[in-house]
Formats: sequence, C-alpha cells, structure tokens
Amino acid sequence: MAAVIECRGLTKRYRGTTALAGLDLTVEAGQVFGFLGPNGAGKTTTLRILLGLVAATSGHAWVNGRRIPDPGGLVGVGAMIEEPSFYPWLTGRRNLDLLALSGPRPPASGIAAALDVAGLTGVADRKVKGYSQGMRQRLGLAAAVMRRPALLLLDEPANGMDPAGIREFRTLLRRLAGDGTTVFLSSHLLAEVAQVCDQVAVIHAGRLVEQGPTSQLTTGRPRLRLVIDPADQPSALALLRRWPTRADGPDTVLVHAADGRGVNEVLGRGGVWASQIVPERAGLEDAYLQLTGHPEATDAAAPR
Amino acid sequence: MRLLHAELIKLARPLTWGVAAAAALFCVLLAVGGAHNAALEGGAPAGHIPSCAELGIPAGPRCARAEALERARVNQASAEPAQVAAQLNPLAAGAEAAGLMASLPGALALALLAGAHIGGEWSGRTMKNLLAQQGRRWRVLAAKLVSLWLAGIGLIAVCWVALAAAGPVLVRVDHLPATHEPAAHALSLAGSQAARGLLVLAAFAGIGLLAAVATRGTIGTTAATAGAVIAMLIATSLPALGRWTPATWVQAWMGFPAGQASVTSLPTNFWSRFISAGGAPGHVAGLVGVAGLLAVCLAAAAALFRGQDIGG
Repeated sequence: MAAVIECRGLTKRYRGTTALAGLDLTVEAGQVFGFLGPNGAGKTTTLRILLGLVAATSGHAWVNGRRIPDPGGLVGVGAMIEEPSFYPWLTGRRNLDLLALSGPRPPASGIAAALDVAGLTGVADRKVKGYSQGMRQRLGLAAAVMRRPALLLLDEPANGMDPAGIREFRTLLRRLAGDGTTVFLSSHLLAEVAQVCDQVAVIHAGRLVEQGPTSQLTTGRPRLRLVIDPADQPSALALLRRWPTRADGPDTVLVHAADGRGVNEVLGRGGVWASQIVPERAGLEDAYLQLTGHPEATDAAAPR
Repeated sequence: MRLLHAELIKLARPLTWGVAAAAALFCVLLAVGGAHNAALEGGAPAGHIPSCAELGIPAGPRCARAEALERARVNQASAEPAQVAAQLNPLAAGAEAAGLMASLPGALALALLAGAHIGGEWSGRTMKNLLAQQGRRWRVLAAKLVSLWLAGIGLIAVCWVALAAAGPVLVRVDHLPATHEPAAHALSLAGSQAARGLLVLAAFAGIGLLAAVATRGTIGTTAATAGAVIAMLIATSLPALGRWTPATWVQAWMGFPAGQASVTSLPTNFWSRFISAGGAPGHVAGLVGVAGLLAVCLAAAAALFRGQDIGG
C-alpha cells in the first residue's frame, strides 16, 4: 500500500526544548491510525508539521507523496487541530462557509452534509459564542470532513464531547474508513484508539517507541501474576529483577514475562514458592504506560 | 477572490461598525466645531495689522516678512467662513473625509481594525484553521491587507456621507456664506484627495499587517500600529530626519498645509500640525516615500510570516 504520511528523522526544537527527536513514522492509505502519547510527547507538533503550520528543525515529512511544507499537499486533507477555534460572532454555518471560501471549494452540499454528520444541523444558525466545548469540537469535525478528504488528521477530536457524541464520532470514523478515507487520530484516549484504530503508533519524548497493529500491541505483551506469601514479596522482587517486575498489593507480584516455568524456577531456587502463577495479557493501557515509561505501568493491566 | 470574500465577511462585525460610527461621529463633531469657530471669526471686527514699530521690529526685510505674515493671518481669519462653507459642500466634503482618514484619526481607526482583523487571528487561535485550509501564506497576507485597505476606504466613504449630510445643515445653522463653487471643481478636489488617500490607507494597512505578524495578537497589533504612526510623527521633530520620515512623505503626498498653517477652523487633516513647516519634499518624493513604506512593510511581513510557526 502507498504511504500517505511519511516522516523521517523529524525533529523540532523550540528554544532549547525538543518537541520531536527524530520521529520516523509511516501511515499507509486506508488505515485508521492511532497516534498515542502522553502530554508533551510531540503529537500536536507532528500534526502541525504535517499541515505546514510549523517548520521542522530537521528531518523530512511527506503527505500524499508531497514533501512538506507544500501547500499543494493539503489538497485532499481535512484537519482538526486540538481545541478548534472559530469566529464567535458568526454562526456555525457561516464559520464553515468562511473556511470553505479560504481553501479548495468543497463539493455541493458538502457543508450541509458535514453539519449533519457532526450532529449540528439544528444549531448551525446559532452564533458560535453560544456553543459548548463539545459543540465546538463537533464543528471542528464538520470543518475537517466538509471537503470529503482522502486523509483526515484529527488531534484529540473527542475532547469535551459527551459519551453519546464520542459514540457517534466512533461510528463516523468507521464509516469514513469504510469509504476509503485514511484517518490519522492523535489521542490520549486509549479506549477510543483501541476501538477504532487498526494501527497504532506510540510516541514518547518526541520519538516513536512502537508501531504496529493494535491487536499486536496488546496481545504481544504477556505477563504473569504471582500470588505469594506477603512475607516473601521482597525476596520475590529481588529474585525476579531480571524481568520488569512490580508489587501489586501485599501478596502479588506482576512480572512482564511469558515464561512461567522460568519464573517459577528462579523463585524455587531462591526458596520462594508461589501459590498461583496466572498468565495475563496486558491491555492497551498497560502497554501504553509501559512503552512510555510510566511508573504505574504494571498496575493498570486488566486480567484477561 | 474567494479568500478576499471570506476576509470581508469576517470584517462585517460589530467592532467594524463601531469604528465606522466613531469615525463618522468624529468628522461630524469636528465639522460642528469648525463651522461654529468660522462663524465666530466671521462675526469679529476686521483684524488690525500691527506695524513694525508696534511689533518692535526695525524696518527692512524682516519687517516686511512679519507684516506679510500678519496680513495673511488677518486675511485667513476673514476668509474662514467661506472656506469652511466650501469644505462642508456635500461634494467637496470628500476631501475633508479623505484628509482626516489619511491622517492620525484614520491611522488609529485602522490600528484598531488591524488588531481585531489580523492580530485577532492569533489571539482567537483561528490562524491555524485558516492556514490548514489555505497553505499559501502569501495569499492569506494579501487578502488580509486588501480587506483592511477596503475597510479604510469604507471609512472615507462613511465620513464623506456623514459630512455631506451634516454640512448643509451646519452652514445654515451657523449662517456661513453660501458658496458658489462649481460641482465639478468640488468633486475634482474630493476625488483627488480621496485617490491620494488610497495609497496612504494602504500604507497604514501595511503597517498594521506587519505589526500583526510581528506581535501575533490583537492588543499588540493595535498598540504597535498606533505606536509606529505616532513614532513617525515624533521622528519629524528630529533635526537630522525631518524631511526624510514617512510622516513628511504622507504630508507631501496628500498636500497637507505645512505646520501650524493646517490649524484652521476646520482642519483638513490631523497630521501636518505635528510637523514643523518648511523643508517638506514634493508630491513625487511623497508618492515614492509612501509607496516605499508600503513595500517595505509588505516585504517584512511576508518574510516574517513565511517561516513563522503557528501555535495556539
């Protein structure tokens, strides 16, 4: 498949702060691509570079085969950058009219269809200053889809949306993907990404730490839950230090390893006997926390 | 053109209407005061021209100069009512409107509009949306400049209409002499000043554009634009610069009377009163200077904006 987004060694420094440190990324056509990372990881900076809003300090990016910055690369790209802002003295519909006038002409009825898709038809003629944050997010989404783009770049699109809105949004993304739109979804809502994305990239401190199918990211990280005598817990943690290990309550140790037999053997040699060794699969959240080096990484997993 | 259309839609906002109303009110109040002052001047007994002995100046060229100045002052005072009545002719009022808008009041009005219309794209965090639609940044700058310039032209039109409506009433109320100026002459004067004003307004808009790109905010743009215009006027008082400042170029291009000669019952501008008389460049030098100022502002704004990171 052809890559619609490609980043090679993308680096961005802001007055001594490194927002991106050599990011390599490939997004292929037709994917719903999740772009995960903690606050400050460089997600929004990446999107801004792809849209030509920010210049990379070094490295290169291509969108639709065009090297960024290239205004022509924006043709066929719809974007919603975090917390979309509009002209508050104008109505929602008028704001979309303005954005339509500012770039390539959208298809006939594109604005009406976008308002409908975003669930804003009923309030489209109200001034934006009266909109809630969720409604502004929906208007941002309408602006992004009004030209029926082939590539949709979304930055934290579900921020401020109510649960019903999030569900509608999820349905919309699936529908767009079904129609062949490539969706690049930057988010920290892991459940959202897990449910709608078929590919995920995790970024941390400006670098890509993992990229692959969502299923691989979660199922590829087995771990063991050991139930032991609370008095033996310190010894067990010491014996198992060759694996990423963490206490989980007074009588449990979580070990990021798949080899139950090897773990049991090490414990036995040290004179510690587990009453249970339960294999688990880490969820996306745990995988994410582990990849991004979060100290709570092993506490977040749900048994499977 | 579609982008310009979008920018004009954005300008149709309460602030623009407020600035237009304030400009019209300012022009009308100035006309009210001017007509009243002219009526008082006209009603006063004919002025006495003091002799050189009374002025304590020995006979000679200096005496002749002083007498000529006094004579001109007295003549001007007696001619004020007719002069103001001519300025308030509905057709000629265009020259008054253009003079006011191509000077400090217009510059301050455009500073306010530049702050909201251009700087506001950063403060309101809408610049990212705009550039995500239109990646060619020079087009965005051009549309902003032209729309702001058109707003300035709109201000001239609004002031012209306000003065044309108020002028005949004021002439009647203050018993100013009727003028028999041919319509063609009045229109020609107004058209000429309005046409000259277009370039000055473009230069003011260019300063506003550069201020917006440099400060990236509403307040910063307004303050920087107003500050730049005031600094231009202050610069004229510097002995070495006097003749070579943007303010003197504007004065020369617009043909504003020099120095205190511009302080009349109904001033034609609020600009040259801040500039000392003498040494102003000619029309052509003024034209080149104002056009150069516009070109420098545009080039600097384009260079700054081209590589600028858009945050927010």
